[in-house]
Amino acid sequence: MESPTSPAASRLDFYDFIGRMRRPAAADLFHSIRSFLTSFSHGDPNSAAAADEDGGKVQAFFAEMETAIREHPLWANATNQEIDHALEGLEKFVMTKLFDRTFGSSVEDVKADMEISEKIGLLQHFVRPHHLDIPTVLRNEGAWLLAVKELQKINSFRSPRDKLTCIMSCCQVINNLLLNVSMSNDRTLSGADDFLPILIYITIKANPPQLHSNLKFIQLFRRETKLISEVEYYLTNLISAKMFIINVNGRSLSMEESVFQAHMESARLTDHISVASTSSSQGLGTSITGLSEESGDPEGLRFPFMDSETESLTPAEVKQMHELYRQVVTKYTMLSKALRKLSVDEDQPLNSVND
Amino acid sequence: MGCSSSLPANNAGGVGNINNENSATDPKNLRVKLVLLGDSGVGKSCIVLRFVRGQFDPTSKVTVGASFLSQTLALEDSTTVKFEIWDTAGQERYAALAPLYYRGAGAAIVVYDITSPESFNKAQYWVKELQKHGSPDMIMALVGNKADLNDNRSVSSQDAQEYAERNSMFFIETSAKTADNINQLFEEIAKRLPRPTPS
Repeated sequence: MESPTSPAASRLDFYDFIGRMRRPAAADLFHSIRSFLTSFSHGDPNSAAAADEDGGKVQAFFAEMETAIREHPLWANATNQEIDHALEGLEKFVMTKLFDRTFGSSVEDVKADMEISEKIGLLQHFVRPHHLDIPTVLRNEGAWLLAVKELQKINSFRSPRDKLTCIMSCCQVINNLLLNVSMSNDRTLSGADDFLPILIYITIKANPPQLHSNLKFIQLFRRETKLISEVEYYLTNLISAKMFIINVNGRSLSMEESVFQAHMESARLTDHISVASTSSSQGLGTSITGLSEESGDPEGLRFPFMDSETESLTPAEVKQMHELYRQVVTKYTMLSKALRKLSVDEDQPLNSVND
Repeated sequence: MGCSSSLPANNAGGVGNINNENSATDPKNLRVKLVLLGDSGVGKSCIVLRFVRGQFDPTSKVTVGASFLSQTLALEDSTTVKFEIWDTAGQERYAALAPLYYRGAGAAIVVYDITSPESFNKAQYWVKELQKHGSPDMIMALVGNKADLNDNRSVSSQDAQEYAERNSMFFIETSAKTADNINQLFEEIAKRLPRPTPS
C-alpha cells in the first residue's frame, strides 16, 4: 500500500530535479521543458474545453519526458525509484509554472467553486452526523478536526501531487479513527458504509477552498501512472463527497424536503445577519452566501416601512406591505418548525466546532 | 456490522502475497479493479477483510482502511491476479454515487444477507444498475452472505441461484464469520477474468 508522501519528500524530489537540470549534461532536457512551457502560453486558457486539452498536452509531455529521462546519460543505471523521483520533480516544476493558467482559470470553474462553497456554508448550519448515518461510536471531534485541517491545507500547495497528499492525509486520519474504534471496541473494521459518510461530513466542516478546481486540477494534471489504485480510490471518494453535496436534498439527509428548505432558508438568513453585522471583515467563503438572491439591494431597503407613519401609507404601499407580511409569516413558520426539530436533537451543531 | 471480530489465526487456501505493481499488461500477472455493492450491514467489508487478512497488518502506519484493500491471488496455472477492491457505501442516500466507483471495474461482487429479503431486493437493483451502466464485459458475482445464519434464512438458495443464472452471474453463498467459501468466491472470479491475448 502506498502511504501519503510528506511535503518534505516532495520538496526533496523537486530540488534534486532542479539541481540536475542545472547541469550542462541536462541542457537538452532543460530545452524541452522550456519550449513546452513556451508553447503553453498560446491560446485562450479561459474555457473548460481548453482545460481538458491542457490536461492531455501535459500528460503527453510527462510521458515523453519519462522516455527521455530513462534514456538520458544523467540517469544511466538509475533505479525505477530514482526515475520516479525525477518525474515527481518534473511534475512539480511544470505545474508550478503553469499553475495560474491551469488552476481554476475558467469562468465555469470559478462559478462552480463559489456555488459549492456557498452551499457548504449553508449546510454547516444544520447538518449533523446522524443525518449521514455516522454511528455514535465514530463521532470523535478531535480526530475529525485533524481531518478537517488536513483537507483545508489543499490550497497551500501548487503541485497536483502535494494537493493529493492533503486528501490522502485527511483520509488516513479517518481510517486511523476507524481502526482505533474497531480495536478498542472489538468491532469489525468499518468499510465504506462508515468511511464515506465521515468524509462527507469532514468536507462540509472543512469547506475546503476551491474544492471543484482542486479536484479537477488533480484529475487532469497528476501523472496518470500515479493516479491509480488506492490513491484513485480515495480521490474518487472526495469527488463523490462533492457530488453528494452538490445534489443534496431533503431525502439525502432523511428529512422532509420542506424541512430541508426551511433549514437552508434559515441558514441564509443567519448568514445575512452576520454579513450585515460584520460587513467588511469577511473572507471569501461565507461572505457571498445569501447575498446572491438580493444583490444590489442596499442595506437600508431591506426592512421597508419600519419608520413609516401608518396614516401616510398609500394603498399601493399597503398592498406591498401585505405581500411582505405573507412572506414574513411563511418564513417564520418554517423557521420555528425547523427550530423545534433542532431542539429535539442534542448533537453539537457543525459550525460551533469550527469556530 | 454483523461479522465476527475474533478471526481465526490462519486462513487456508491459495492466497499468495505477491505484489507486482506493473502487472496490468502482463498476461501472467493480472490486475483487476473489483467493486463491492450491497446494502449496508450485509457484510461487504467483512468478506474482503476475510479474504485479505493474511496481508492485513493493523499496526501498519500506511493508509489502512477496510474501504480499499488489495490482495493477490495465485492460481494453479501460475497466473497471479491482484484484486484492487473498492468498497461502496450501501446506504440508500449514497446510491446515486455508485457509478463513480464501478466505472472501469473489471469485476463486481453484489452482496446480500440471506436473512434479509430487503437486501436481496437491493442486490437485484444493483445487478440491473450494473447491466445498464457498467462495463459490458464485467464479471459479476451474486453473493449471499451470513450463510452461518441458516436458521434465520429468508432468501432461498434456489431463488438466488435462478436469479443469478438468468442474469449470467456466478452465485455463491458465503460466511465471512466462518470463512466459508470466501476464497472460492475470489478464485472463481479470478478464473473467469478475461486473459489478455499475448501480442
